[in-house]
Amino acid sequence: MAILEVNNLEKHFGSTRVLEDISFDLEKGKALAIIGSSGSGKTTLLRCLNFLETPDQGTISVGGSVIFDAANRRSQTDAEIRKKRLHFGMVFQSFNLFPQYTALKNVTLAKELLARERPDFKANKKAILEEIRQEGLELLKKMGLEQRANHYPNQLSGGQQQRVAIARALALKPDILCFDEPTSSLDPELTGEVLRVIRGLVEQKTTMIIVTHEMAFARDVADEVMFMDKGVIVERGPARQVIENPQEERTRQFLAGY
Amino acid sequence: MFLTVIGALNEGFLQTLKLFFITLLGSLPLGLVICWGSMNRFPPLRWLCRFVVWVIRGTPLMLQLIIIFYIPGMVMDQNPWPAGETGRFLACAVAFIFNYACYFSEIYRGGIQGVPKGQQEAGQVLGMTKGQIFFHVTLLQMIKRIVPPMSNEVITLLKDTAIARVISLQELIWAGYAFLKTSHGYSNLLWPLFFTGVYYLIFNGLLTLFFGWLEKKLDYFS
Repeated sequence: MAILEVNNLEKHFGSTRVLEDISFDLEKGKALAIIGSSGSGKTTLLRCLNFLETPDQGTISVGGSVIFDAANRRSQTDAEIRKKRLHFGMVFQSFNLFPQYTALKNVTLAKELLARERPDFKANKKAILEEIRQEGLELLKKMGLEQRANHYPNQLSGGQQQRVAIARALALKPDILCFDEPTSSLDPELTGEVLRVIRGLVEQKTTMIIVTHEMAFARDVADEVMFMDKGVIVERGPARQVIENPQEERTRQFLAGY
Repeated sequence: MFLTVIGALNEGFLQTLKLFFITLLGSLPLGLVICWGSMNRFPPLRWLCRFVVWVIRGTPLMLQLIIIFYIPGMVMDQNPWPAGETGRFLACAVAFIFNYACYFSEIYRGGIQGVPKGQQEAGQVLGMTKGQIFFHVTLLQMIKRIVPPMSNEVITLLKDTAIARVISLQELIWAGYAFLKTSHGYSNLLWPLFFTGVYYLIFNGLLTLFFGWLEKKLDYFS
């Protein structure tokens, strides 16, 4: 059963159509890589899933229930959107860590703020915060950053910052983790350490959508690859097949550049 | 004679400091309100706020002070300002708070717009509310950005309090000037007026130290 279903998604910026009739689904525990040249709509698609952009048409469903329907997009309250967007986690190209907080605090902040809404928060404040802290440390350990928990972002390398950002996105246990070109701001050496972490998450059956320019990585790690061009899905299939034996002429042209 | 003059100047300086702190107390939060208005999505409110900022920043504080102090009494049957020093101080406080709030609002706006959009988006995708994003993500980064321009403005404010003399508020310059004529039994003394400069200089030195300390305190992140 598909955990994510996207139907007929469409998005315009002014008169420019950025996404056109985007429909796809994603099985739980699978990793989908989205490839395509700049301006093909990959990032906009991820931003729509995370409610950073509002699609003009279409629906998004998670776990069988519709979380977005363009037909009644105005009726959603902020609180509803907040809750729904937690189905997704997002890792940005530019990390976007909070510079004034340590690595650990970056990971735990959102969870601490959410915990305040729990009815038993006041009574068990200490225990709850300690539990969140332990979970945060555990996540950083998973990222190989247990020694860096108390470092500030400006004391970390780009690769380390991006791994903190991954831990931060994982902290809220999203159903689907989205990566928007997670290694595009990193030099090749640092790219490796981030890709290793993502590969680890694939092995643990984390449901993921990865927008990437790393073709070898998409081929070897993702279950499926989707090629987008000018706002439409041109081709989609098993990773190895799409990268090594693309069916569409446009995909072949694009891959020839790599 | 020296002690008498110093005593009189101290009294004036107290009034200067009172106006200085009242202005900060009022204009720092009011500036945030104007800033919020001038970035609001509702156009009429945005235009109104930007218009007010344009008028207040575009005319001399001295003129604003004169208008606020004299005009109400001219158009109303009764002067709304209490008599004497209390009334003068209130009029000064209103004029200064409004004037400085407009300057602060623009500094805040620069500070908020200077924080990368990605910070807000990172907060959003983590399910934070708008308020949480402002207080837990944006605010400190904004404060770090506005410390240098704010320190400039606050130092200027201390010296601008001298403008209150135009409606005879008995602040530091007024107290020094009084000795040119007659004050506390002394006449034709020039040096007390010049000596007021020492007060401004020392207090602004302390302000400079404070803002330097604050800047250093926020140096741990970038």
